[in-house]
Amino acid sequence: MIKLLSIAINDLRVMFADRGIWVQIVAIPVAIAFFIGLANGGFGAGDPVPLLIDIFDNDSGELAAQFLTDLRATDSNLVLCPADADLCRLDGSELTEEQAQTRLTDGITSAIIEIPAGFSTQALAGDSTAIIYRSEEGLGQTSAVLSAVQAVVQRVSGAVVAANVGVNVFENSGPDFRFADDADQAAFEKAIYDRATVIWTALPPAVQYSESARQQTSGFSQSIPGIATMYVMANVLVGAIILITERKQWTLQRLIMMPVSRGQVIGGKMLARFVTGMIQYAVLFAFGFMLGVRYGDSPLAILLVMVVFTLCATAMSLLLATIVTTDQQAGAILNLVILTLAPLGGAWWPLEIMPQWMQVVGHISPIAWAMEGFQTVIFHGGGVQDVIPPMLVLLAITAVCFIIAVRRFKYE
Amino acid sequence: METLVEARGLVKNFKRKDGTEVQAVKGVNLDIQKGEIFSLLGPNGAGKTTTISMISGLLTPTSGDARIGGFSITKQPMEAKRLMGVVPQEIALYPTLSARQNLNFFGRMYGMGGAELNKRIDEVLDLIDLKDRQKDKVDTFSGGMKRRVNIGVGLLHRPQLIYMDEPTVGIDPQNRRRILDTVLRLRDEYKMTVLYTTHLMEESQELSDRVGIIDHGEIIAMGTVGELIQQVGEEDQLVLKIGEQTIDTSLIERIPKEIQGVTRAAFEPPGETGDQTSGEVIVYAKRGRKALPHLIQIANEAALEIMSVEVREPDLEAVFLHMTGRALRD
Repeated sequence: MIKLLSIAINDLRVMFADRGIWVQIVAIPVAIAFFIGLANGGFGAGDPVPLLIDIFDNDSGELAAQFLTDLRATDSNLVLCPADADLCRLDGSELTEEQAQTRLTDGITSAIIEIPAGFSTQALAGDSTAIIYRSEEGLGQTSAVLSAVQAVVQRVSGAVVAANVGVNVFENSGPDFRFADDADQAAFEKAIYDRATVIWTALPPAVQYSESARQQTSGFSQSIPGIATMYVMANVLVGAIILITERKQWTLQRLIMMPVSRGQVIGGKMLARFVTGMIQYAVLFAFGFMLGVRYGDSPLAILLVMVVFTLCATAMSLLLATIVTTDQQAGAILNLVILTLAPLGGAWWPLEIMPQWMQVVGHISPIAWAMEGFQTVIFHGGGVQDVIPPMLVLLAITAVCFIIAVRRFKYE
Repeated sequence: METLVEARGLVKNFKRKDGTEVQAVKGVNLDIQKGEIFSLLGPNGAGKTTTISMISGLLTPTSGDARIGGFSITKQPMEAKRLMGVVPQEIALYPTLSARQNLNFFGRMYGMGGAELNKRIDEVLDLIDLKDRQKDKVDTFSGGMKRRVNIGVGLLHRPQLIYMDEPTVGIDPQNRRRILDTVLRLRDEYKMTVLYTTHLMEESQELSDRVGIIDHGEIIAMGTVGELIQQVGEEDQLVLKIGEQTIDTSLIERIPKEIQGVTRAAFEPPGETGDQTSGEVIVYAKRGRKALPHLIQIANEAALEIMSVEVREPDLEAVFLHMTGRALRD
């Protein structure tokens, strides 16, 4: 272990002996993250991620309409489909239940809401009824929608109850308190309902949670994790060139001829790359913090995404070193890989603004999975549990790269 | 004497890109005694570095094994490697680190540290005469200085055995002399065993207690310099270059009869000697220099114009030529 650490420390010393490294891991990434952040909205709130909800209104009654109006009012970012046609990504087709379920599973929508037939009548009569809410559990994004739905349901049902109670109290207040006719009673009920709705609206609803989470986002909330992840990949993949150089200058072979195991040599080299990746993340996230970017409520989840992605890039770097034989080849492949995987994976702009098929293709890039992890925490208030699915994908990529690389690696 | 290195049946096959195999080393057997300088002499591509790479644990032999101090390099590599220091042919150093930082790092790889390592680094810097430049980056050094640091790394842990793979390649005569002197000091003062590979006959002849001559992956001769020379006889060769002149066979027959010590003579016309423009009269004699005046006299009498005269004393070059039919530098 001591030898492994010595190898890692020596590699870092060699790397930092070159002053150009500060340009490579500080100056350039910071500048790029800054300008791309500015282009994406800068210090102001950037365009938040739209939250699509598929609605099946089988009631079409007054209360159902009120519910949908109130739901929309809670958050301008909620897109109710198929009503908001332009933003629904339905490509002109009719929304079916089957399609809605597929959209939900694919992550296009955050939830499905079904308002049963007779909802308005039953609710106004004080009978029990329910709005059906379906979502993929566990995602912070869904929780925000659920909070909004709950808040509106509470508000609408509260107003209905208030109206019912008002009518009841009025009728039981004595012989002088009688409605002239049904229309009179309905008008009274409506007045209480409207008044209750106004009062509920003025109160801070539960949905405030998701609003506040989104208010923190800015152009930098996208560019800092995006550019950091891209540069982590670049600076870790450079490890392939370093390994080739060491093989060329025979320091790698010299190490093998010393009483050091091959595992210690490669482990030390990989540890140095891993540390470099984490330094890169630290530099850019610290810069983002100075710009006012906040990284959600779970630092542990952010750290987990950083660690897993850097591990993945490290394994890819080792694999690259087994594929190429010269540093020129490595440089060319590295550029190609970075300039393809970074935009494809959503490092430069949010993947959500891309067409659906590009979002699917983009997930061949490990950067997409890392960005999904970061966005879950930063934009949607997710925690460690919420980032586990994308992290498992990254760990699988890591394992495959590492196993192939170890089998193919040549020391001499 | 005690044997320190014992290699048996070392074979190394490499796969070519087209999938066929080439055998770079074909069953090398070696015994190196404690305290000797053993040189592996052969032309470039003969298999010296491949052999040394197998003995030092860099390459896994296709078959065969080597034991260093009794430890098998394939089965007990860590124990075997602790006994040896390696000086590769390449400057295997980190160019952007200083000489001292390089020594410090590689010393740690031998499990050294703290005050002990610092003391050893100072001693090695003294030995390689680079104490005053210890804090300078290696890439600011001359070729000879880099070679000395390269050797210093191999000496850090006072190994019983040191491998040096062509350590004088590409350096000026002054630094070369300094390195050769260091090699002799390692044996004489530090009682180390040295395994030295070279394609330079002069180095091998000057340094070695024993020499193994390697060609096409096989050891073709092994022994002390004297023993090897004896294998080709102790005759000098006198080579007279006579351009494109023709020569009477009777003159060639006269030479061994008239000059004392000459055992035989031969004429090689232009083109058969490797020299397209000049024929050669080759005379074999026990004491070539003594026979030379009489030989010139006979040539004058025969009105033979001599372009040049060369006396080739028996050496490892002659041994290699004798055994392979090729010059060592071919």
